[in-house]
Amino acid sequence: MTKGSSAALIEARGLTKHYDGFSLEGVNLAVNEGEVVGFVGQNGAGKSTTIKALLGLIRVDGGEGSVLGTPSDELTRASGAATKERVGVVFDTVSLPGHLRVADVGRIYASAFASWDAHRFSQLTRDLGLDPKKAVKDLSRGMGMKLSLACALAHDPQVLILDEATAGLDPMARDEALERLRDFVAQPGHAILMSSHITSDLERIADRIVCIDAGRIVFDLEKDAITDSAGVARCRVADLERIASSGMVPDSELRYLRHDYGIDVLVPDRFAFAEMFPDIPCDRMTIDDYMSLTLKGGVR
Amino acid sequence: MKRAYLIELTIFRDYGRQLLALGFLVAVLVGCGMQTVLAAPSIITCMFFMMGAMGAAAYDEQNDWGRFRLTLPLSRRDVVLGRYGAIVTLGLGGMAVGLLAAFAISAVASAVELPGELSQALALDAGTLSAMAFATTFCLLIGATVASVVTPIYFRLGQTKATQLLPTIIVLLFVLPVVFLGNSGLLDGALPGLEQIASLLAYIETPEGLAVGCAVMVAASAVILAVSAALSLRLYETREL
Repeated sequence: MTKGSSAALIEARGLTKHYDGFSLEGVNLAVNEGEVVGFVGQNGAGKSTTIKALLGLIRVDGGEGSVLGTPSDELTRASGAATKERVGVVFDTVSLPGHLRVADVGRIYASAFASWDAHRFSQLTRDLGLDPKKAVKDLSRGMGMKLSLACALAHDPQVLILDEATAGLDPMARDEALERLRDFVAQPGHAILMSSHITSDLERIADRIVCIDAGRIVFDLEKDAITDSAGVARCRVADLERIASSGMVPDSELRYLRHDYGIDVLVPDRFAFAEMFPDIPCDRMTIDDYMSLTLKGGVR
Repeated sequence: MKRAYLIELTIFRDYGRQLLALGFLVAVLVGCGMQTVLAAPSIITCMFFMMGAMGAAAYDEQNDWGRFRLTLPLSRRDVVLGRYGAIVTLGLGGMAVGLLAAFAISAVASAVELPGELSQALALDAGTLSAMAFATTFCLLIGATVASVVTPIYFRLGQTKATQLLPTIIVLLFVLPVVFLGNSGLLDGALPGLEQIASLLAYIETPEGLAVGCAVMVAASAVILAVSAALSLRLYETREL
């Protein structure tokens, strides 16, 4: 159930890749102009594999991907490499040899990108507190991620593909990074695909949440449908039966998670639920709650 | 390709500087130790080709650089050709440093009277220059060949796996054939073509033969590197990163 369109800037259609012990199974994903798509899932669920497939770093066994209209399998060939001029990528570590200094990193990007803006890079590194003389290996994880973000933003990309890019940033730096990403995506023609375990970041910036588990997409929803509309009803066993018999949620979609102290029930519309069951507490849903209920919860 | 080449040189810069300084030192020590400047440029040339190929592969595995590099506007072809360009640059840089060191040692030896007969031993004459030219281009061929063997393996397997396999591959390619031929009895009578080899060596000792010999070895190095690059392209094209 991809919320895609023919104008998707990043798109995966039925991506399939088999490894020993893990398979990506028909992954569909689309990132449209102006969107920030949060890509979530447990460790080993297939997020990084999907991103690698989209970037043409691995060959897929089935399906196809594209970035800015260029098929993924052409992105590492001469015919498609130029497309990457307009793509900024950040992996979960600073993916550069450790001996390079920050200034050297700028030189590498200047050689790689025709659109490299050295002035912007200097400004970004200054703003982010990065010393041009400091070696990559001497940067903390957080500072390294700042450097990666500065690099991704300083060549005027159209799309950003971020794999755990805010991991390791302190709360203040995360705020700043998210602010920059928000500014980025506000510009015409821009979009972001952002995988992250820090779902609070996605709650603040994402327009849509796509969740992958065991190589399959398990949900692809507007973020507001999760964090604004949906809720978690904190029930007793008898309450679950009442909710089920009310018909408010079809039995096949009634997801619940048992705890020692009760049962959490996924409610698609918490306002309607509160009217119908005023005696059952219903909290605002977080992306973490939604993932837990979807991935670990049972269905009646 | 130019972008990938410039990126390689940026990454190599510090390592290259260290190697060039080390190469100069090695050249001086080899020259003084062997009491001849003949061997220094050849040793450095060979060493730099090998270290260029191996050092570059090591950087690929640092922080997943080899994978991330392909998210930059480079094709796999650019990466491979850029790598070969960098190896050749480092190898020829090593040759230049070796020659510079040889000339510098010789100049110092002729300007200052060194103990023993070192000044005489380190002097450059026409014979030494000819021998140096031949030895240097021969080692260029050896260095280029080794780099050409290891680089496709690095591109296909990555440095860690390749390093585990390379000793076996080197033994299979270079040691076993010699051992097999030596023990097979095939060479018991005489080396086939021994007379032709002798006349070839005699020809190389002439000025014309030296020039032709050096040109052939330089051309052979280029051909071997080109074949290796073509193989690397094929192997790297399907590598999953």
